[in-house]
Amino acid sequence: MSMSKTTNTYNRQNWEDAEFPILCQTCLGDNPYVRMIKERFGKECKICTRPFTIFRWCPGARMRFKKTEVCQTCARLKNVCQTCLLDLEFGLPIQVRDAALKVADNMPQSDVNKEYYIQNIDAQLQDGDGTEAAGAVGRSLAANEMLSKLARTAPYYKRNRPHICSFWVKGECKRGEECPYRHDKPNEPDDPLCEQNIKDRYYGRNDPVAEKIMKRAASLPTLDPPEDRNITTLYVGNLPEEITEPEIRDQFYQYGEIRSIALVPRQQCSFVQYTKRSAAELAAERTFNKLVIHGRKVSIKWAHSQAKQGTAAKTDRRFDVAGIPPPSAKPNDYFNLRQEQINVMPAGMKLHQLPTNLVPASAYQMYAQPTYAAPYSGLGVASTSSAAAASGSASGSSGVNLDSIPPPPGQMPYPSQDASRMGALKK
Amino acid sequence: MPKVRRSRKQPPDGWELIEPTLEELEQKMREAETEPHEGKRITESLWPIFKIHHQKTRYIYDLFYRRKAISRELYDYCLKEKIADGNLIAKWKKSGYENLCCLRCIQTRDTNFGTNCICRVPKSKLEEGRIVECVHCGCRGCSG
Repeated sequence: MSMSKTTNTYNRQNWEDAEFPILCQTCLGDNPYVRMIKERFGKECKICTRPFTIFRWCPGARMRFKKTEVCQTCARLKNVCQTCLLDLEFGLPIQVRDAALKVADNMPQSDVNKEYYIQNIDAQLQDGDGTEAAGAVGRSLAANEMLSKLARTAPYYKRNRPHICSFWVKGECKRGEECPYRHDKPNEPDDPLCEQNIKDRYYGRNDPVAEKIMKRAASLPTLDPPEDRNITTLYVGNLPEEITEPEIRDQFYQYGEIRSIALVPRQQCSFVQYTKRSAAELAAERTFNKLVIHGRKVSIKWAHSQAKQGTAAKTDRRFDVAGIPPPSAKPNDYFNLRQEQINVMPAGMKLHQLPTNLVPASAYQMYAQPTYAAPYSGLGVASTSSAAAASGSASGSSGVNLDSIPPPPGQMPYPSQDASRMGALKK
Repeated sequence: MPKVRRSRKQPPDGWELIEPTLEELEQKMREAETEPHEGKRITESLWPIFKIHHQKTRYIYDLFYRRKAISRELYDYCLKEKIADGNLIAKWKKSGYENLCCLRCIQTRDTNFGTNCICRVPKSKLEEGRIVECVHCGCRGCSG
């Protein structure tokens, strides 16, 4: 049985020899004077199982010694660090980076297929330059701003800490102070981050850390375009005092043709209106949470159609509770006495389930200017929802005016909302 | 059982005075050799051997070089019988190595980067107030 590295000659050509490791900054540690040991064919690559050159070093005081875990071929294929398998540019897991860059690698993952693939890639890499990323990632490596946002800014040396002292966990650690392992409580065993697997992390499937990051990315604040396609105006808030209209124009003209700019210096805001809706959407996407003018991060929101005054930026949230009818356009009709407008909502349907174009948005009404109030009755006519269908004949009239509908008894949070109980309705 | 005598001759004069201590140390060594390994690390089971070896050699060295209580003849006899380690004593005679724990800790071929063992670092140079037990002999610092 050939046990030594020199006597075993099977497939020796496939073994990888390297001169310098491919590592990220955090794995190397904070000490610029790091001493590294090189061992030719010291271990098998965790992914392709070929013997390769391992490098071993200490990433700092009180850190565990780290060594390269995957071979250079595998690392180059995915453009990752040989030890931590995180992207070299962003420091993010492979799954996150591939999802953001939409890179689908399709490299074979099992048995002979994998070995054959790796062998070929190895031959390719040897011909080319050793510094670029190979494979699918190399072809599509663009600076992606989402990834830059998700990436860490400072090195995370907690990764290099020693492992937990299992004796200490049991209470049996006799080494005490000089124990090089961590005397810390271990993570909860049902933490999903505990079950990580190097192959899963490498092929970008099922990686709990990646999933956590992507969930965090999804919950980053985003600005949704409003449903009213006529709105092409952006509200720009938190502007510096000395801002002038030409400066705003300079910032926003690149997204499309500007129809008008209204500057309200008192409220430190302005309204930028584009001719085309697509331009406005592009501007919103490009500037939301990103634009900085004169050192101040400006807040971007979609403007509401009517109010060009500053206060319209806040929606009136008081009437969002299901069941409370919002203030009607006719301010005197507090008790819904206008009979011809009473309409019974379909049973069981809540106010917010109605299609949005039927629900009167709150703040608009309060500051309604006559010219803009019209769309709502028009929208009522155009509705084809089940509300119209269920309420049959009643909606045949000029439009469903939902302002005056008393909520059905099942949906009222407060007894005082039940107009019939208070005797307000004329029976 | 008294230790095996390698030379045929009788031990020189002061022998009876030092013999009880030496016998005690040898008894300790035998116990260390037969200790079970339970609960100890692999390297840790060898530490008592090195410690007792150091103690024995230290005893002879002190008697001759410091206290001058035995004759050169007896000293040479001990070295010849391998009761004390002559190589270790040779190091102790050098400045800076007076308290050297064992010969393994200064062997640079044993380390990855060709250095001495961590126990050879003086405590003043070793920051962080950390306790080190060197892996060869369990020494906690033999020069600082």
